[in-house]
Amino acid sequence: MENPARRASTPPVAATRKLWPGALAMLAVPVLLLIVGPHLPAYPLRILDMILLYAILGLGLNIIVGYAGLLDLGYVAFYAIGAYSWALLASGQFDIHLPFALVLLTGASLAGFAGILLGIPVLRLRGDYLAIVTLGFGEIIRVLMNNLDGVTNGPQGIARIDEAHLFGWTLSTPDDFLYLLVGMLVVVFLFVWRIQASALGTALSAVREDQDAARGCGINTTRVKLVAFAFSAFIGGACGVVFAAMQRFVSPESFTFWESLVIVLVIVVGGLGNPFGALLGATLLILLPELLRAYADYRLLFYGMALVIIILARPRGLIARQFGPSWLMRRLGGGKC
Amino acid sequence: MLKFDHVTKQFGELAAIDDVTFEVKPGIITAVIGPNGAGKSTLVNMAAGSYGVTSGRILVGDTELQKLPKYRIAHAGLSRTYQNIRLFDGMSVVKNLEVALVPPRVGSLIANTFGLSGRAAAEERRARCHAVLERLGLAAYAERQAGSLAYGQQKLVELARAIVAEPRVLLLDEPAAGLNHGETEQLKQHILALRAPDLAMVLIEHDMKLIMSISDTIVVMNRGRVLAQGTASEIRTNTEVQEAYLGQPGAIKDIEAAARGRRNRVRIREGEGLTWHQP
Repeated sequence: MENPARRASTPPVAATRKLWPGALAMLAVPVLLLIVGPHLPAYPLRILDMILLYAILGLGLNIIVGYAGLLDLGYVAFYAIGAYSWALLASGQFDIHLPFALVLLTGASLAGFAGILLGIPVLRLRGDYLAIVTLGFGEIIRVLMNNLDGVTNGPQGIARIDEAHLFGWTLSTPDDFLYLLVGMLVVVFLFVWRIQASALGTALSAVREDQDAARGCGINTTRVKLVAFAFSAFIGGACGVVFAAMQRFVSPESFTFWESLVIVLVIVVGGLGNPFGALLGATLLILLPELLRAYADYRLLFYGMALVIIILARPRGLIARQFGPSWLMRRLGGGKC
Repeated sequence: MLKFDHVTKQFGELAAIDDVTFEVKPGIITAVIGPNGAGKSTLVNMAAGSYGVTSGRILVGDTELQKLPKYRIAHAGLSRTYQNIRLFDGMSVVKNLEVALVPPRVGSLIANTFGLSGRAAAEERRARCHAVLERLGLAAYAERQAGSLAYGQQKLVELARAIVAEPRVLLLDEPAAGLNHGETEQLKQHILALRAPDLAMVLIEHDMKLIMSISDTIVVMNRGRVLAQGTASEIRTNTEVQEAYLGQPGAIKDIEAAARGRRNRVRIREGEGLTWHQP
């Protein structure tokens, strides 16, 4: 047994706020990306953009799956809603040409709203059942996009999407999107970290651990879950808008169940509920298939094998839940959080 | 403070609780005893909102608990511990306590997330949790994962989580179950120290030694009904209790069945009434 007096003597909340080495360590990643990124050739740069996009998606999905413990296998639906928002509101399809910032907000909000709509019927479900319903939701959105010929142009998709302009800055090259994505990553990362460290995160964790006991402690589990769905979907929607602006072409093919699965894998492999995990997971899951390109037909085989090995070796993901940003700040003495 | 007013609970044909009326007063410890199946846990689960009520009212002050959704019952000032520990295993001990202090309004939760408000309040909540942990001798485990603690410590963490929101009614569902002698003694001291003029404590226990030593009043239940209520010595000598237990062959079986499944032995001797004691 430990000596209680020993640890009790240290004040519960560390009051040291000196150099913020923890914050600096975390800031180093985006700064490095901004310095090195633009010098990369086109192909690796594109991959880097995709890694960032999936990292942001992973951070978003983590709110539902990692924090609240609700397995959502239809996350791609929110991504699709965001993507089609930009495709429909900034293209020749209906000759509507709204500014990027506005659509980014609208698309994300629409997705957030869809998140609440999905959340309401599934409130009573957990585990396998929830997974199946969300999977169905993802497919419904895709099939809808595929069949609403008059609106979405069906399987042909929507091409000739506008070039995005953000406050006078044209987003067209992979460089431009790198800047945008790094910016988004920082904002979303700070946001999900705030959620985790705040009372909302505490409530979500309680829902994940034991929903009934959480209710007994006074948590309005219904509301809290809906908030999680809305936030998560909002981030997914924002990613969708950026994706459509980047590709300047959308079709239902981009939003299959496979995409949902990849995003779930990003956070499961990286470490459920850990923002660092989402970054590492996205890097691995996007990079791996590219590295395996040489093996052509066997690519998916090796990819699958690699995932199986990772999960067997580290069942809680590459970086376990507790080693998140708050932990890093404590370790490096970056003040309280 | 906590009032059961003609409460009945039917499970199909079976009346698990049959027209129960009694009041739990603040400032004292009320024990609810009785053999297995007497309805003690059902009573707790109804008050805490886990079971619905078939008829009757359960009141905390003027608030009718049976009308509230489960999460609002905590806000009405009632909190509980569980017969089988139900901590948030994957969370740290201090986070377990913070759950009980999460602000009820979702709007303010969102505002807090964006850092718009509530920083000072969050600090204060954290400080309150640490103060309670300190009080129960758990300060050293604040940052440990709740699920990794020893059983006895987990029981204490559950108690800490139940009192951190400063409830008006505290339901302790077999707090001593599975504890060794020393731990039970420690628990007893903590429970006695919790006694406060504005807190009504309900203790459901099988450890008769613990009950007899700390309860101010005892409610005896049998087959869903209240058999008797009184102080420890009144209950020991209550003829009704004796009659009910000794006069009906079925009731004796109940007690014996209860005794077999427990670490406690029930000894029934003529003239001595009913005594439980530790083996």
